[in-house]
Amino acid sequence: MSFALWPEYSVVLGVFATMFAIMLPKGRGIAAYWVTLATLAAAFMATWTDWTSGRLPILLYAHGVSIDAFSLVINGLVILAAAGALLIGWNDRRYGADFPVLVLLALLGMMVLGLANNFLVLFVGIELLSLPLYIMAASRGTHQSGEAGLKYLLLGAFSSGILLFGLALLYGASGTLTFTQLAPAHMVLPLAGAGLALTVVGLVFKLGIVPFHMWIPDVYEGSPLPVTTYMAFGTKVGAAAILMRFLFFGFALATGWWGPALGYLAVLTMVVGNLLALAQKDMKRLLAYSGIANAGYLLVGIASHNMVGARALLFYLLVYGLAVLAVFAIIAFVAGDRESIQLDDLKGLAARSPWLAAFLAIAMLSLAGIPLTGGFVGKFYLIQAALQASQPGLAIGLVVGAMVGLAAYIRPLQRAFQKADGDAGPASAVRWPVAGAVVLVVAVVGTIGLGVYPSPIVHIVNHSAAFYWLH
Amino acid sequence: MIPLNWVVGLGAALFAIGAVGVMVRKNPLIMFMAAEMMWNAAALVFVAYARSFHAMSGQVMAFIIIGTAAAEVGIGLAIIVSVFHHRHRLDIDEVSQLRG
Repeated sequence: MSFALWPEYSVVLGVFATMFAIMLPKGRGIAAYWVTLATLAAAFMATWTDWTSGRLPILLYAHGVSIDAFSLVINGLVILAAAGALLIGWNDRRYGADFPVLVLLALLGMMVLGLANNFLVLFVGIELLSLPLYIMAASRGTHQSGEAGLKYLLLGAFSSGILLFGLALLYGASGTLTFTQLAPAHMVLPLAGAGLALTVVGLVFKLGIVPFHMWIPDVYEGSPLPVTTYMAFGTKVGAAAILMRFLFFGFALATGWWGPALGYLAVLTMVVGNLLALAQKDMKRLLAYSGIANAGYLLVGIASHNMVGARALLFYLLVYGLAVLAVFAIIAFVAGDRESIQLDDLKGLAARSPWLAAFLAIAMLSLAGIPLTGGFVGKFYLIQAALQASQPGLAIGLVVGAMVGLAAYIRPLQRAFQKADGDAGPASAVRWPVAGAVVLVVAVVGTIGLGVYPSPIVHIVNHSAAFYWLH
Repeated sequence: MIPLNWVVGLGAALFAIGAVGVMVRKNPLIMFMAAEMMWNAAALVFVAYARSFHAMSGQVMAFIIIGTAAAEVGIGLAIIVSVFHHRHRLDIDEVSQLRG
């Protein structure tokens, strides 16, 4: 038992406490949400204590678990994602009583992915992240929700199978399960190549990179709104973190094996994801394709395999997550009892709720990468990383993707600032649930803050990426 | 003693059969079963290599895979049954209200 693992322990304890809170005879429901929120606060405090303790990095369990500045930043990001999802779905009976417990379990999986340093921990983390999300995707009990859960389950099991077989071949090629002991120079070559290819395919399946992205729009559209929020932010953080840690720790000395391949995938993903986002009519589907395109941006940070890339990836994860939280909070407000909205439902939003329309504009422009928003700074760092790695093709792909993306993100804004159709349309203001409003305001303030004064966060991610590199 | 490469070859064959099964079959139950077969192929390869290295780590991994597969089957069957309750027929092509 190590004190450095308190963020994870507090989530485990929180899972049990939340289960008991659900079983309380009186005040059913709401107590569980408060316990979950307290657990998230405790996990964040523990992460902060670790960060300031000055004893990092700490290697535990025969180097299977590595608590360092990188894992702690990932902890912070996924706690933010979990808090956002929890508050957007605050005390909503539609998602079942178990919703807070499942949020915490998936959070634990994401945290484990941040600190994994061997195949066992990697696999347990991936499954701990996926299994609760399968249930959450299907938790609504409607046709669409069941279909989303089924598709997610089948594709998830399939990609985990590919990942596992890749890990098995890598184990055969190297004789070890620990990333840092893989030593690619001494591996049996065809075996190692096949193993690495299958492992990377399994991981980019989870991240949603283009040839392996077809499940994402269907699953995002069918899942309940807070769950989609969680998937769009949290799972992307987890998958990006483990992909980066696996490749940078295990194959840092053989970047030629994976760097170019990931670079091509990144360019393909950025362009195709944004192009497909152009054609969408449903807001959740639009954000699903936007999530695919953003996974491509994240892959730029990994493919450039340098410290600037690691820093840019961590920074971009935060920027992307804040924008996603803001947009999903707005969709939840406008949708009300429904699970999603069409682009046309946004018509007249500026007249009904000017603030909401303004916030939507800020979040969308941040996703598109307009200056004065965090999205611009994040993309700037990614381009810097690509150029520093002397891969201008990645930078060009990113700019082209962002241009196409701008057109895709302008469409909902154009609807929002349009006059409503004359015949119907409720002219009343959109209702702001308190919990969702907290998420929205924090996300929008964060987006603007990162755009005009990014240095505190840059300082943190610099520290994180540097520690990571010197391991 | 069976040579290592035969066991790994068997694992690869099982993996390929599973992967083809997921992509070709239409029934979610069969697809799920095929995916589980891919997991088991990986577990077999882990055990085979662990035996040849005289190491325990691969065997532990196989146990973890089996345990996780059990959890996944529990959740997976529950989801498949709940979808079946809605439609009374299982065909992945019919479960396509979401435009995919």
